[in-house]
Amino acid sequence: MKTLVRKELRENVRLAALGLVVHTLMLVQHYREYVAAPTNMSQPLANPEILWSTAWFCGIFGAVLGWLQVHNERRPDLWAFLIHRPMTRTEIFLGKVMAGLGLYALVVGLPLLGFIVWARLPGHVAAPFELRMLRPVAAYVLTGVLYYFAGMLGDLRQARWYASRVLGVGVAIVVSLLVSEGPAFWPSLLLILIGAAILATAVWGGFQSDGHYRGQPVWGKAALTTALMVGCLIVAFMAAILVSNFFPRGQPSGMTSYAMTTNGIIFKSNGGPGRSLEIVDLEGKPLLDEKTGKPIDVNAFNRRLAAATTLEVAQDGRPGRSTWIQRDLSLAIPWRATQDTLWYYWSRYGRLIGYDIATRRCIGSLGPQGFATDLFGRGDRFSDAATIGGARTLSSTDTAVLQLDLEKRATSTLFTTTADDPILAQQEIARGDYGWQYTMVITKRLVHLLTAEGKPVWQTPYEPARASSTVFQLFLLEPPGQFALWISPGGRADAEERAKQPAHVMWIARDQGVLKSLDLPALPVPHYVPRLEERLSCFVMPPALLSALPAGDAWTWGTRIPRELLLLSWAGAVLLCLPVGLWLGRRYHFSIAAQAGWAVFLLAFGVPGLLAFLSVQEWPAREACPNCKRLRLVDRPQCHRCGADWAPPEKTGTEVFAPLEAV
Amino acid sequence: MNEQSVIRTQGLTRYFGAQPAVYELSLEVPRGGVFALLGRNGSGKTTTIRMLLGLLEPTRGGASILGYDIRSLPPEARARIGYLTEEHQLYGWMSVRECGEFQSRFFPTWNDKIFRGVIGHFNLRPTALVKSLSRGERAGLCLALTLAPEPELLILDDPAVGLDPVARRALVESMIYLTRRSDRTIFFSTHQLPDVERVADHIAVLDRSVLRACCPLETFRNSVRQVRLRFPGTPRALPKIPGLLQAVRSEGELRVTCVHYNGATEAALRGLAPVQIEETPISLEDAFISYLGDRGEKSFILSETEAQP
Repeated sequence: MKTLVRKELRENVRLAALGLVVHTLMLVQHYREYVAAPTNMSQPLANPEILWSTAWFCGIFGAVLGWLQVHNERRPDLWAFLIHRPMTRTEIFLGKVMAGLGLYALVVGLPLLGFIVWARLPGHVAAPFELRMLRPVAAYVLTGVLYYFAGMLGDLRQARWYASRVLGVGVAIVVSLLVSEGPAFWPSLLLILIGAAILATAVWGGFQSDGHYRGQPVWGKAALTTALMVGCLIVAFMAAILVSNFFPRGQPSGMTSYAMTTNGIIFKSNGGPGRSLEIVDLEGKPLLDEKTGKPIDVNAFNRRLAAATTLEVAQDGRPGRSTWIQRDLSLAIPWRATQDTLWYYWSRYGRLIGYDIATRRCIGSLGPQGFATDLFGRGDRFSDAATIGGARTLSSTDTAVLQLDLEKRATSTLFTTTADDPILAQQEIARGDYGWQYTMVITKRLVHLLTAEGKPVWQTPYEPARASSTVFQLFLLEPPGQFALWISPGGRADAEERAKQPAHVMWIARDQGVLKSLDLPALPVPHYVPRLEERLSCFVMPPALLSALPAGDAWTWGTRIPRELLLLSWAGAVLLCLPVGLWLGRRYHFSIAAQAGWAVFLLAFGVPGLLAFLSVQEWPAREACPNCKRLRLVDRPQCHRCGADWAPPEKTGTEVFAPLEAV
Repeated sequence: MNEQSVIRTQGLTRYFGAQPAVYELSLEVPRGGVFALLGRNGSGKTTTIRMLLGLLEPTRGGASILGYDIRSLPPEARARIGYLTEEHQLYGWMSVRECGEFQSRFFPTWNDKIFRGVIGHFNLRPTALVKSLSRGERAGLCLALTLAPEPELLILDDPAVGLDPVARRALVESMIYLTRRSDRTIFFSTHQLPDVERVADHIAVLDRSVLRACCPLETFRNSVRQVRLRFPGTPRALPKIPGLLQAVRSEGELRVTCVHYNGATEAALRGLAPVQIEETPISLEDAFISYLGDRGEKSFILSETEAQP
């Protein structure tokens, strides 16, 4: 096999050299962009731009390499020269893959390694680094392997429809999308492995049968069908979206929401299909424009709305909707730059880490107890949840809100609380052109409003509306010194319940405390009518997949796929795909086991399953049976209708046959 | 299976779409000697060879080669079979020497003397790149790569196609050399009838996907006969003649080529009332051409309108 690996390496060395140059140039461009802006506050190894360029490069290079490795020998005689040697086809496949993946690793890995070494050498990059920041790039490098196998499969497969050669790429695309949107790293890695296993098995099967479906081992057939089904899923989905564009769009559903004006009055805005937004008070009377006496214009109403500051506090410790890639890229958050330093909040140490712009080296860290020349200080840490966000002036621990002075590298305490009522969130509040005016601090039991200097304005107790999350909205009313505080369950609770939850509103005046409060009733949920593109795309979606997957946090669908759309998907499978599949299976006289297997497959995977079924099956020709005169399949030794054998070729009287003796 | 057979097919059939390329092929190739597979373009020769080597799945039927089922040829079987492809395609970036080194590492029975001998016979420089070789030189290199492992069975798919007479002669001599010094078997397809006459012991003829002949070469030679019938004027229309391959009509003459010439054939011909019937010698090449050409009557008599300039 070593000989074959060497041959493959030699054969594809030019492409590898080209890939190496292109990849190196791409990274050099990133390097130049970084060094051109010394105050650029980013870690180049955890930069989304470098991540996407690596993802694109790995996908394209992997696919081209895989395709070329097979294409070089796809001429029938050269393929025969390759195959006809004392090796199993599995060994030939492995030899190619070992060489291909070796080249892929070299082309993708070598420049990246150089870039990492450059970035890690002190004095080059003025930003924190930890190994976890490399996981997103590593994931996309691994995803490129899927494109490599998809490229091989594309050229190897003897496709009935020419365009269906590229269907194998579907698995790679779907895995890439899921990895980039995945909530956690390890499931994403598992997904990459599963995708690679499916595509590699499909390619292996293709090597066993020279690219034909017929003659493949069962595992190869199953992997090929799965790979093509995923590709068909993408095609069908895109076709559904495209087709829906040719039809008129339905009216959006009506929506009602609350709004507060600067004088502290609450109104409801009612929108609906085919009608303009209507502003009414809580009793349902329309708000009239004082000048015209007619219902107020939406723009005029918007000008009357009070400015609000919103803080959402998660209390169940569940991570938000961010993906693992977003989290890994945000391990060190750019905080602020001074004239000669760059500061990052590094969650690993819970401190602000400073870098000198000129030397590009770390100068130390700033924690609640002040500056230290190392990263740990005295072990004092800021609180992650309360630190991230805001205007980067304040930070906090569990019991104190601190004002940070990065020029002097010092902290000063703005607010303190007790350990049994810890700080959950804090935020600076600016008003118009006046700059930072107030600071809102949410503790476990109280909401505090402070001046910018830290003097208390008011404080009010509250009860968390939901265990999951609570949203606080502070409205600054007129005249100054008047406030309204809305406390409502968070958007996540709304999404889980598929309804706007009731909100508690308090009107508060400076030095007077709570003037009055009100519980606003829950708003009616508009009747959900699926849009045409949703209906069409669900019709072509595999029903098993649609039934098994939750809809996530999508507001429109809540946490479950609507029953109507689910039924549509099953209807497509039961009424269209299953009958067509059964008819074709009967026409080509599948065995009972094959018929049952395909029936289950079509039922589970619907339209994409049917398209994959049509893509893989190489339909045998049919001829009239001389015995029963009906069409019989040419790939069966006997007529499947009457059991007659094939007749020998018709005699012409010119045949010359004689026994042959060994020479 | 006959122990003496190296290849055996039973109802071997391959369709491309609805079109049969090889139809119900049943034959046995005995061990030793040279077996020529003949037929016109598209008659199914290459398809047959590719099926025999497990490079193409048969639509139905089966075959074995050296006792192994063609659907699952193991590496040890492939080590015993040499295969020369029709187009003589190799890796263009390799040199002649590199081709030999590459191939030698796979075959434990590789004989470098044979490799060097054959490339020397074709005057190939070891350093020459494959992509710079002429078609004939590439054929020589392919032959060297095929012969050097000293295969027990050599399958050649139209090896002489595109070769000049000198290269063709070299190829045929190599084949003769290989078979005469051992009990190896050569199974080859070709259009070159003089080569067949020189080296083949047995032949099989495929006509439009169907096997029409499979016999020793001498049997075939003796089966095809040609007679010339003279007539005072234009000969009458031909009756049904058993074994008729071709009848060529010209002024006062009818030349008939047929197989299995016997009393019944002669009686049918005499029914045309010729003034003379004489058997004329026919070369093997003419016999093949008659056998493989269009069946039935041809005429060289031009009608009056066709004859006018």
